[in-house]
Amino acid sequence: MTTKLKTEVPVPSLAPPLHRLVGIPGLKWLLLLIPLAYTVLLLYYSMISVLKLSVYDENGFTLEYIRQVFTEPLYLKVLGVTLKTACIVTVATLLISYPIAYLLVVMESQRWKKVVMSLVMITLWISLLVRTFTWTVILQDQGVINKMLISLGLISEPIKLLYNTTGVVIGMTHILIPYMVLSLYAVMEGIDHRLVQAAQGMGARPWQAFIQVFFPLSLPGVLSGSLIVFVLGLGYFITPALLGGQGNMMISKLIQENIQTTLNWSMASAISLVLLLATFLLLGLAAWVSRLSPLLKGEK
Amino acid sequence: MKKKKRRLFAGLLTLALSVTMTACGGGTSTDKAASAPEGKKAQELVVVDWGGASSEAAKKTIYEPFEKANNVKITVVSPTDVGKLKAMVQSGSVEWDVVNSDTDVALRLEKEGLLEKLDYNIIKKDDIYSNLVTDYSIGLQVYFTNIAYNTEAFKPGSQPKNWAEFWDTAKFPGPRSLYKNPVGTLEAALLADGVAPDKLYPLDVDRAFKSLEKIKKDVKVWWEAGAQPPQLLGTKEVVLASAWNGRVSAAKAQGSPVDNEFSQSLGMATSWVIPKGAPHKDLAQKFIAYAISPEAQAAYSNAIDYAPTNKKALEKLSDDVKKRIGQTPERVKSQIFIDNRWWVDNYDKINERFNKFMLE
Repeated sequence: MTTKLKTEVPVPSLAPPLHRLVGIPGLKWLLLLIPLAYTVLLLYYSMISVLKLSVYDENGFTLEYIRQVFTEPLYLKVLGVTLKTACIVTVATLLISYPIAYLLVVMESQRWKKVVMSLVMITLWISLLVRTFTWTVILQDQGVINKMLISLGLISEPIKLLYNTTGVVIGMTHILIPYMVLSLYAVMEGIDHRLVQAAQGMGARPWQAFIQVFFPLSLPGVLSGSLIVFVLGLGYFITPALLGGQGNMMISKLIQENIQTTLNWSMASAISLVLLLATFLLLGLAAWVSRLSPLLKGEK
Repeated sequence: MKKKKRRLFAGLLTLALSVTMTACGGGTSTDKAASAPEGKKAQELVVVDWGGASSEAAKKTIYEPFEKANNVKITVVSPTDVGKLKAMVQSGSVEWDVVNSDTDVALRLEKEGLLEKLDYNIIKKDDIYSNLVTDYSIGLQVYFTNIAYNTEAFKPGSQPKNWAEFWDTAKFPGPRSLYKNPVGTLEAALLADGVAPDKLYPLDVDRAFKSLEKIKKDVKVWWEAGAQPPQLLGTKEVVLASAWNGRVSAAKAQGSPVDNEFSQSLGMATSWVIPKGAPHKDLAQKFIAYAISPEAQAAYSNAIDYAPTNKKALEKLSDDVKKRIGQTPERVKSQIFIDNRWWVDNYDKINERFNKFMLE
């Protein structure tokens, strides 16, 4: 005998996402809608008003500013330096953060886990400017590192760790490590240890099990962490300005100069637009690459 | 069906409520003094300055005396953010009354119509340097970009005494630091190349960049923050730098082996301006009138190493102070003021070229 089901099955006449939305019982969907509307309206409204400035100034519609960004070699050169620096920083951050996140996951003592985690997070609580100036003290010719190396007799001339790309990478990596560690840890924590154990049980050496089981499963975390760090790195200009040399100019600095010094907001907006498009292009590329690999898409 | 209609209605109601609440919530920056009972309640004034040591000095010597004499409460905001000022004026919600801004920036703000006219019936401008007075701004302090040196590398007396010697890396060897901004740096480059001070403007930009090319390889650091030169000199990261005199004297007073060389120093200034639509305009005019008076300016220059713009204030200073701020009578005669008007017209293109020069 078949039982008659009393539950209603609403006919899906709306598109699936909306259908899911109205399927939420009661008024709970308002909890989603109100913050979403608030964010979307404010974010996109303000972004559009700023980007609008790139093609409008007091004389009306003009492509002058965008043309200037593409024809004046300065801007594209600086954009290139910015993208290159952000890439190097992302790779450096990944190389340092991956062992830290892995350590956090395999560590068994809960107390030590908390200690390592707080050590990583504490850097986020200290002012950015203070951290940057501190790196100046550590890396300069008379600084801690050089003095130590000279007194140990390992070098005779101070190494140039500051006012060049090395200084910029060291400073920015230090600041961005917490973001990467958190992204990696979030994904690694979800990887089932038993899979690694199973692989070892099947005869794989520990490092084989790591490379063939653990590492591929952690790739979604690597991708999301790298994206966060890359995009954040694109926006930094104070740290590169204080730790870098004359060749380390970042594009955000040019935007800032146009907003606060020359008050040429149309130019600032045009540069921002180009930066935004370049970022979208790269993110689109990354999304396309990840679509090709089922692993990178994460859980199905 | 009824459920969906109810939901839609609820959603619209909530949206309508939130929109009404935001509309009502706006416009909080009302002039409180207008609704307060007359007499005992203090008026309010928002003053924007640069923060740090100069703000502390101004508080003691200018803000507090004014507060006491006029029953005013001054709120100090730092640092001066010109982009924010423009945004405030354009959106119509101005929170600042008086702003201490770079003189060249003040000219730019004037050009864009973002300032209130100064009332020269209240403000006595006669003794102020005339090149620092416009209808919308008035100079309040002069500071110098000058040669600064490490006293261990160059014993006092053996330091470079002008920009040509600063450029001479054979006679005065060692790494240098220059300001990462064409204003002041181009002038220094031209003076080093032999241009006479009174023939500086309009600047021969090509010649200036050629001159900068000569020293570029010896510039180890291009500084951006005023705090950098005394720190770089103090740790002997560089032995010579262009620097703001006040910062160097402050470091020297704390025992750092640094000092200023005032000859061929380049005078720059900051000015008081009132943003258009400031909430307490009239009080702001009164404040400026007090702030540029000889007493206030002399007190300020005694507290910090910036020179006054009021000639009468200069007379009130002791010889020691005059020497420290680089305003001995000989210096006053030979000081070179940066031409802010020329810079307002030419800054954008030259700054682009300067940035390009950095990347080469």
